[in-house]
Amino acid sequence: MIHVSQLTKEYGEKKAVDDISFEVGKGEIVGYLGPNGAGKSTTLKMLVGLLEPTSGKISVAGYDAETELLELKQHIGYVPEEAQLYEHLTLIEHLQLMGRLYHLAEERISHKIVEFVKLFEMEPQANQRISSFSQGMRQKCLIMSALLHNPEVLFLDEPFTNLDVTTVTFMKSLLQRLADLGKTILYCTHILEVAETLCPRIMIINEGKIIADAPVTALRQQTNREALNEIFVQLTETTGIAEKTEAALRIVTETPPDA
Amino acid sequence: MLEKIAAKLGACPIQYKLLLQTDKTLEERALEGKQGLSKLSLSLTCAFCFLISISSALPVFFHVNVFTYALIGTTTSMFMVGLWMLPYFDLLLSPINYPIIAHTPVSSRTYFLVKLTQILKYAVLLLGCLNIFPSLCGIFLRGDEASFLCYFFPIFYLPIAFMSGFFAIGVMTAFAGYLTKLYAIKSLRKIAKSAQFILPMLFPLFFYLIPIDFLKDNYEAVIKWISVFPSGWFAGAISIMVSTFERPEVARDLILAGVAFLSTLLLLIPLRSIAKTYSKYLAYLMESGGRPKDTLRMRVPFLARFFTSSDVYASFRLSAVYMRRDRHILQQLVSSALMVGLMTVIFFVRGIYPIEWIEYHYAIGLSPGLTGLFIFLGVSLVFGFLSSVGSSEHYKASWMLKLAPLRAQSDLWRGVEIATFIYLVLPCTLLFFIAATLFWGALGILFVLPGLLVMLYSVITYPKPESGLPLSEEVIKIANMTGCLAYGLSMIAAGALVGIQFLARLLHVWVYVGVYCIIVMGGLIGFIYHFTKKR
Repeated sequence: MIHVSQLTKEYGEKKAVDDISFEVGKGEIVGYLGPNGAGKSTTLKMLVGLLEPTSGKISVAGYDAETELLELKQHIGYVPEEAQLYEHLTLIEHLQLMGRLYHLAEERISHKIVEFVKLFEMEPQANQRISSFSQGMRQKCLIMSALLHNPEVLFLDEPFTNLDVTTVTFMKSLLQRLADLGKTILYCTHILEVAETLCPRIMIINEGKIIADAPVTALRQQTNREALNEIFVQLTETTGIAEKTEAALRIVTETPPDA
Repeated sequence: MLEKIAAKLGACPIQYKLLLQTDKTLEERALEGKQGLSKLSLSLTCAFCFLISISSALPVFFHVNVFTYALIGTTTSMFMVGLWMLPYFDLLLSPINYPIIAHTPVSSRTYFLVKLTQILKYAVLLLGCLNIFPSLCGIFLRGDEASFLCYFFPIFYLPIAFMSGFFAIGVMTAFAGYLTKLYAIKSLRKIAKSAQFILPMLFPLFFYLIPIDFLKDNYEAVIKWISVFPSGWFAGAISIMVSTFERPEVARDLILAGVAFLSTLLLLIPLRSIAKTYSKYLAYLMESGGRPKDTLRMRVPFLARFFTSSDVYASFRLSAVYMRRDRHILQQLVSSALMVGLMTVIFFVRGIYPIEWIEYHYAIGLSPGLTGLFIFLGVSLVFGFLSSVGSSEHYKASWMLKLAPLRAQSDLWRGVEIATFIYLVLPCTLLFFIAATLFWGALGILFVLPGLLVMLYSVITYPKPESGLPLSEEVIKIANMTGCLAYGLSMIAAGALVGIQFLARLLHVWVYVGVYCIIVMGGLIGFIYHFTKKR
């Protein structure tokens, strides 16, 4: 469903994504992990057509990103990292806008919106402007819009940020069921607990390069570690945490000389 | 130096300086790639102010007395600075970076002063351009009451003119601040913010509304009443400084000067109070709006069935909603409508155009007064909207438009155009159609059609924003040069249209009928062709 070949994104001298290649099959949920600034969001933005790659090939749902971008966009759903929305719109107006942009019939849009809003427990906010929403509500708003047009492939960039426990549990269950139905999900996060429970396969990116791509069980064997956070630390070669903690403590608690 | 003043006013000088520097950096970065345009726009604004100032200095050649000369200068300066500064009040009334620093120990007063400094920065520049020329020309005032101090006119005039400008801005700030503080209901707060427009209009309106004959016959009485208005106070202050003391108006000027200084000082009280509670006021702004509705009901919108492309309809709805709710767009629309309204009233009242001019016609369908007013209002509204709909405070949300599988990106702009037709062109046309029907009965439609054509073409030929998407660029407070040029061209086209009709009528009535039919039919066909073809 997702084919990425030798994908690179350069910003001047810096390579945000450096010659990565991978494939994700139908019905797979893949956790895309990495430290801050590793290139996760950049990869996702290139996959959904928001950023143009410097080089490389992308194919999603059988459509080439270079030549069939329009068809590709019609078959994907995207939850971005930041909840940037048109804040003067109400929740319903926002969902209507998204439905129309994905060419759904008006009756279908209305029906889906009513059901979604009930399911996500946002009926009281349905006619309120997004500007008055909390971060969690905005996140729900983004998730609803990504699912509205029944996409074949879902790109989720930190989708559970700011969501309450009930919604996260509901979302995890929903994503699992969507994958069972054959939807492909690329799940980008640095919250390892969620990735561990939801994603049978993990890809780790560091400094623009994919440094691990295997099922969680294989990664455990490879690194001789049980917890995903330990595997992550080992693979990304994050060292000196104890020393850093001590140094930070010193700075926080130091008293000025004249005190 | 500014930090020292800020410290004296109770702000933290270090935080004040840092916040000013940060805002300056942010402003520069927002303008990255548009610096040239920004400088050009600022230069044009200054040049325009300078031209206006020349007109307010002209009375020096008509041997007016010092008070009248100063009155014209200060009225013009206060009006212009008030009108020009309106968009910049957003810096104060809804600063976008407030939520980012709200939790830090920056005092309300410091933050208020930072925002006020930003506004005054632009005000100083404009006031300079508006007053330097009149201050220099003042040297040549030669009335009986002018003292030898007139040779030093700029030294006395400039500080007071600047003071009057700061007074105008201070009053507007206090007015908006207090009204906004008074009301807890969001919709009323919006009205309060829009009420800013009232004050700068008040300064000159009174003067212009007085019939010219009355002004000639009752000059002294009128001047006495004008003294009641703020520009009169400052004119009195200038007059007392450069006029001799052996004249009957000394007492009046002394009182006015006293009122000017005292009122400027008194203005510090409400400003101080607003500064102290500024954080609280901003907290009101952060409150949620909109009342939750009890039940969720969804119906297929009536207009949706008339649209063949859902992309066009999506963009139509988005821009229609923003036309009603976005303050940046509303500000443009309201200021366009107010400008047209005010100029029309002034033109009629001062007799530059008699009101009968609207009804006057050379032939059926040829009434330059009605067509001119129709086009002036319509095109101003259309351009006010189109020049602002390309950008938004929420421009980052345009990722949704970029991500969408649009059949043609131009469809989104087409939605904007349709919103303009339905919500601006149509109501304007109906309004003038009603007026035309009152004058000419059923034939009134023929008087409206040429103006309608100009408006339709002004919509479809308006240059799209760079991205081609609505609400997708950052709001930058600079004049839209392309928009100004397009506006000018539309007005020229409108003039040419009426001119051609007029010339045709001079030749023969049937030539006129032929030309009229060609213009209207050809124009409509051309419009339909241009609008429906793939762009």
